[in-house]
Amino acid sequence: MTSQRALRRWAFIHKWTSLICTVFLLILCVTGLPLVFHEELEELLSDDPPYAELPAGTPMANLDRMVEAARARHPDHVMWYVFADDDEPKVIVGMLPFAGAEPKLGRALKFDSRTGALLKEIEPFAQRPLTFLALMLRLHTDLFADLPGELFLAGMGLLFVLAVISGLFLYAPFAGRQRFGEIRRNRSPRLRWLDLHNVLGIVLLAWMLVVGATGILNELAQPLFRIWQRTDVQAVLQPYRGQPAPEAASLASVQGTYDAVRRALPGNVVTSVVFPNGGVGSPYHYLVWTKGASPLTSRLFNPVLVDARTAEPTMVLQMPWYLRALELSRPLHFGDYGGMPLKVVWAILDLVTIVVLASGLYLWLSRRRVPIEARLRELETTG
Amino acid sequence: MSNGAWRIWRWPTALALLTLFGLLSALLGEGGMWWGLSWIALSLPLLVIAACLLRPQRSP
Repeated sequence: MTSQRALRRWAFIHKWTSLICTVFLLILCVTGLPLVFHEELEELLSDDPPYAELPAGTPMANLDRMVEAARARHPDHVMWYVFADDDEPKVIVGMLPFAGAEPKLGRALKFDSRTGALLKEIEPFAQRPLTFLALMLRLHTDLFADLPGELFLAGMGLLFVLAVISGLFLYAPFAGRQRFGEIRRNRSPRLRWLDLHNVLGIVLLAWMLVVGATGILNELAQPLFRIWQRTDVQAVLQPYRGQPAPEAASLASVQGTYDAVRRALPGNVVTSVVFPNGGVGSPYHYLVWTKGASPLTSRLFNPVLVDARTAEPTMVLQMPWYLRALELSRPLHFGDYGGMPLKVVWAILDLVTIVVLASGLYLWLSRRRVPIEARLRELETTG
Repeated sequence: MSNGAWRIWRWPTALALLTLFGLLSALLGEGGMWWGLSWIALSLPLLVIAACLLRPQRSP
């Protein structure tokens, strides 16, 4: 039996962790709701020109030609990446205004992957109009404050997880004496909301913990990738130290690089080719991101270093455990891995979480001016 | 486990296990049946909530 002292401690933790994070969690739940359906909404709200009507299985056009088109259109930029989607017939060619520029300064061109026709100019981040989904995404991920915002929301997520765990320890004394799921409707409204808070909270406990914990991990993506770049990737690049990086003119063909990796890793899907650079990746190699083809392995990426002069695959980089955990935490946070029915269930679970948060806030606002310690004593004496 | 603890925790434990099964089955299973099982497993907690809200008040 949990002692009264331990209960008081859990009550204290539950009160303060909830009070600090509730407002932000409400923002996260409200903005997360449309994000569950972002694929469908993007398609609905997009004003991009349509793809050419071609039979399924039409092969991809030459990537080098798309890179050339991008270079001709923006000769003052340096090439950054080529992204080939596997569920839409599109190729995105990204460029930076100068080597080592911040990602948000990058611009991109969208091509039809089969015809190689240019479909759209994607302006640098700051010049892009703020769409509804972009607004939701920024409020959900960083509150328009970049990395500090992400770390702040990770902290709020941590408080939320603590609030859920401490709530679990308070469940038995507050709800355990009734039949499971009992909501006393003929007593005070406060009691009704307390029962509702307890029932919804305990039923959603596992889901809230999983989505909370995976949300924290997603917010730590930037630091985690930086750690990987500074440790594992640097170690692999050690033998190349001091060598001159290849000039833009002497780079091997992107199409040749793409094909070489496809030959080296049959059964894998190549999603993007990152040009040699001094940031994430290598100054001497193309970094080619590949993924598996099954529902699970399509979430796990295997980056391949390819010699930038010869287009020879050099090695498959091993992803460390913390990046594997991050990759697995994406679907478990987004709810996008089980078709439309899973998304609908995800959205309802999100709505119920809003009720848990709001009822918790109501319980605090309508609290009797009696400290929780007294209420616990009361429980004990009437029990 | 005492009788009281079993009475209090059987439903929460069953629902938590059901949720975890639903979350993992669609991720680890290769589509098909596993998706269906995931939809059912994750819908059941919602049905339990609906039942709690709709069931008549037990007379005191």
